[in-house]
Amino acid sequence: MKTDSNRLLLSGNHAVSHAVRLVKPNVMPVYPITPQTPILELITEFHAAGEMTGEIMTMESEHSAMAAAITASLTGVRVFTATASQGLLLMHEMLHYAAGARAPIVMFNVNRTLGSPWGFWPDQTDSLAQRDTGWIQYYCENGQESHDTTLQAFRVAEQILLPAMVIHEAFYVSHSMEAVEIATQEQVDAYLPEFNPPHRLDPQIGESWGNTVSQVMFQNHRRDMGDAMERVLDVAKKADQELQDLVGRGYGIHEQYRCEGAEFIITTMGSMTGTARDAVDELRAEGVPVGLLKIKLFRPFPVADVREILSGIAKVMVLDRNFAPGTGGILYQELKAALYGLKGAPEIHGYLAGVGGTNISPVNIKDMVHSAIGEKPVAHSVWKG
Amino acid sequence: MLQFIIQGRGGQGAQLAGKLMADMFFQEGKHVLVYATYGGARRGTPVSSSLRVDDKPIRMRCDIEHPDTIVCFDPSLLEGGTLLKGATPQTIVLINSSLPAEAFSHLGDFKAVTVDAKSIAQKHQLGRIVNTTLVGAALGLIGYANVKLLEKVVGETSPVKSENNVAACMEGYRLVSEGRF
Repeated sequence: MKTDSNRLLLSGNHAVSHAVRLVKPNVMPVYPITPQTPILELITEFHAAGEMTGEIMTMESEHSAMAAAITASLTGVRVFTATASQGLLLMHEMLHYAAGARAPIVMFNVNRTLGSPWGFWPDQTDSLAQRDTGWIQYYCENGQESHDTTLQAFRVAEQILLPAMVIHEAFYVSHSMEAVEIATQEQVDAYLPEFNPPHRLDPQIGESWGNTVSQVMFQNHRRDMGDAMERVLDVAKKADQELQDLVGRGYGIHEQYRCEGAEFIITTMGSMTGTARDAVDELRAEGVPVGLLKIKLFRPFPVADVREILSGIAKVMVLDRNFAPGTGGILYQELKAALYGLKGAPEIHGYLAGVGGTNISPVNIKDMVHSAIGEKPVAHSVWKG
Repeated sequence: MLQFIIQGRGGQGAQLAGKLMADMFFQEGKHVLVYATYGGARRGTPVSSSLRVDDKPIRMRCDIEHPDTIVCFDPSLLEGGTLLKGATPQTIVLINSSLPAEAFSHLGDFKAVTVDAKSIAQKHQLGRIVNTTLVGAALGLIGYANVKLLEKVVGETSPVKSENNVAACMEGYRLVSEGRF
C-alpha cells in the first residue's frame, strides 16, 4: 500500500505505530486489548523486521504493563505503551503513581465503552475518568492528528516530566483507513531531542530517593505537579508550532473553526469534531452564524483561552460522547467551571450525543443547533442521539 | 461523494473487500475513508465495511445513512437486519445469490442485482472466498472504468491465488458490465 511519497493509506491505529517507530522508545511494556491491539501488532512487526530496536515486554496485565513502564521510565529511558477501555481502568492505580513519580511515559488510549454491559464502541468515558490522575491528555480527530500528536506528546512529556496520554476513538478513528502523511526520520530526529533526565535510577549515580514523605513534603510535591501542568499549556503550543514548522501540519491545543462573527459555538472533542465541521459548513450556508471550538488538549484544560474565545458569545452547545452518571457530560462540566464568573459568559447547552458510540451525523448536529437556538438552557446535560 | 456498505459474515472477506476498494480509489488520488464494524471478532457474525470516496477530504465520522451501493455477501443478512435500512429507490443492492433479482423485490424499493459469486469463486478455485468477485461486480455496476488499476490492486492485495482472484474479479466486473445478470 506504499506510494511514492510518505503518504500511506493507514488506519488511525497504524498511524500511531508509525509515529512510535520514528520516536524510537527504549522500552515498550504492552498488553493487548480491542480496539488498541493493531497499534502493538504493527510495532512488533517493525521490531521483527529490525526497523525498531527498543525492548518490547509482553506483560501479564495492563496493571503490570504500567508498573513496568514507570520503572523503565525512571531509569531515564523513553517509554511507550498503549491500551483501551477496561485495560486503562486496570492501570488506574499506576496512572496516579506514574504522574507522582514524574515519569514521562507516553501512552496511546483508544476510547471504547466500559463494561458492564460489554461493548466495543467509541465512547470517551474511559480516558475522561482518568482526568484527575496527573496525565496530560490530548484528544485526536483523525489518524493524521494521532500520528502528529504522538510525536508532540513525547516532546512535551519529556520536557515537563509528566506522563502524556494521546487518545482517539474506537472504529471511527482507530479502524478507519485514510491517507496519512508519515513524518520522515530526519524530521523526527530534528524535532525530538534525546531524553536525558537530570535524575535517574542508575547504579553508577549515587542518589537517595525517599518515597515516604511528611504532609508538607507531599503537599509541595503535588503543588510542583500542578505548576508543571500549568507550564504544559505553553510548552504544548510551542511543540505544536515547531512540528508545524518541520512537517507543515499543526493543530494548536484547541482550534476555532469558522468562529468569525459567530454567535453560537459548538464545542466538542475527538472524532465528533469532523462531523461538526460539516454541520457548521451547512449551517453557515443557511446563514446561521455558528462556529466550532475543538478542545484538543483536555489536561491541562485551557481555561484562560476558553474564557477569552467564548466571552461575548450568546450560546455554546457542548457535545459529549461520554457520560458520568450523576453529573452528565464531562466536557460540559469542565466548560461550565472554566467560564464561571466570566463577564458576558454564554448560555451553555450540554448535550449527551453519541454516548456508547450511537451514530451522530451532521444532520443530527444541525437539528441540535436549531433546537438550542430556540430554547433556554437547563442546568444539566440533556440526552440527544 | 460515493458511499458503499459491504456486509458479510465474519471470515467471508467483507472487511478486506472494503480495504481493497479504498486502496484502489486512494491510488487514483481520491480521498477515501473506510472502516469496519463488528460485534466481536468471531466467524459467522455480521461484519460491515463502510467506504466513502470523494474529491475532497472526508471529515465526517458517522455511519453511512444512505449508501449508493450495498454489497451483500450472504442473502440471509437481508432479512431482519439493518443492512437495507438506508436503501432508497436509487440504491444498488448487489446480492451474492444464484436466484434472480426479482426474488428479493419484496424486501423493498431498491435496484436489486444478483451475482452468483459463489459459483464464480468455485470455478476459479477460490472455495467460498467471494469477495474479489463481488468487488468486481460492484465496480462494474457503478461504471468504474480503470480496469488496469483494479487488476493491479486485486493482484497485490490477494494473500494467495493472486491470478485466480484477479480472474474472478474480472468475471464479476464483466458480467454486470455486459448486463448478463
